[in-house]
Amino acid sequence: MLKGEIVQKNKAINMTAATKGWFLLITLSIIAVYLPEFVDSRSVTIMGALVIVALKGQQIVDIFMELNNAPKLWRVLFLSYIVLVPLIITVIYLA
Amino acid sequence: MSNPSITVEVPDKKLPGDLAMWFFILAELTVFAIFFIGFSVSEQLNAEMFSLGKAQLHQTAGLINTIALITSSFFVAVALTKIHKAQAKQAVLLLLTAKAFAIIYISVKIWEYLSLFEQGITIETNTFFTLYFLITAFHLMHVLLGMVILSFIAHSAWQGKYQNNEFSGFEAGTSYWHMVDLLWIILFPLIYVI
Repeated sequence: MLKGEIVQKNKAINMTAATKGWFLLITLSIIAVYLPEFVDSRSVTIMGALVIVALKGQQIVDIFMELNNAPKLWRVLFLSYIVLVPLIITVIYLA
Repeated sequence: MSNPSITVEVPDKKLPGDLAMWFFILAELTVFAIFFIGFSVSEQLNAEMFSLGKAQLHQTAGLINTIALITSSFFVAVALTKIHKAQAKQAVLLLLTAKAFAIIYISVKIWEYLSLFEQGITIETNTFFTLYFLITAFHLMHVLLGMVILSFIAHSAWQGKYQNNEFSGFEAGTSYWHMVDLLWIILFPLIYVI
């Protein structure tokens, strides 16, 4: 019989992950606002801004909402939302 | 004699908070998705009007509000880590900080509305401003409701109600707040930037 301590490593959010998530969200938000000043093409601006939305959404869903540690279905549902809604908007704008 | 430790990755696949709250969040997200898609379609049909309308919005105010909501969400996320560690008073303090950032958001939003009213712009000005006021005011109502929820969970935490691994009420409240943030990160670029 193995003697010893069983250490449970859970994947719940910690302060470091939250801080990294916050920093990334702020950086991406600033990039999104100034994107039109650096990109001439409106189509590229729209696609870039909406890709940034999806990246930010993933941070909120996985890190802040802690769905990276939830049943797969719920995580997939929310990640689908932050991909599908910007995708539909992009298709409408570029149509 | 050595005392070996083994690390076990526990497949703790648990949905934070209450299932009912997650269905409520999904319903809210669906309503906003319809608004966002409706706004995009209207913009395609009235491109010049929407372009002029967006030019009249204060983009910096929108960015300040984005930073305020993201920072508020950060403090709420950290508050959750504190409540998991049975540090209720620290969690309450973090929730109050989160609410302070939410107040910044509300103040900036009210300032934005008043600035537009001073220019004679109202909900009836044109389709762009009808949708702008409807969507942003609807979101603002969710921020206000979120603040009520944060106050409730802060009060409950202060009273020591989240103990013995019973955090579902707290987690449900924080999830709602993150939804408010999630909606804003789509709303902001859609209405103010692109």
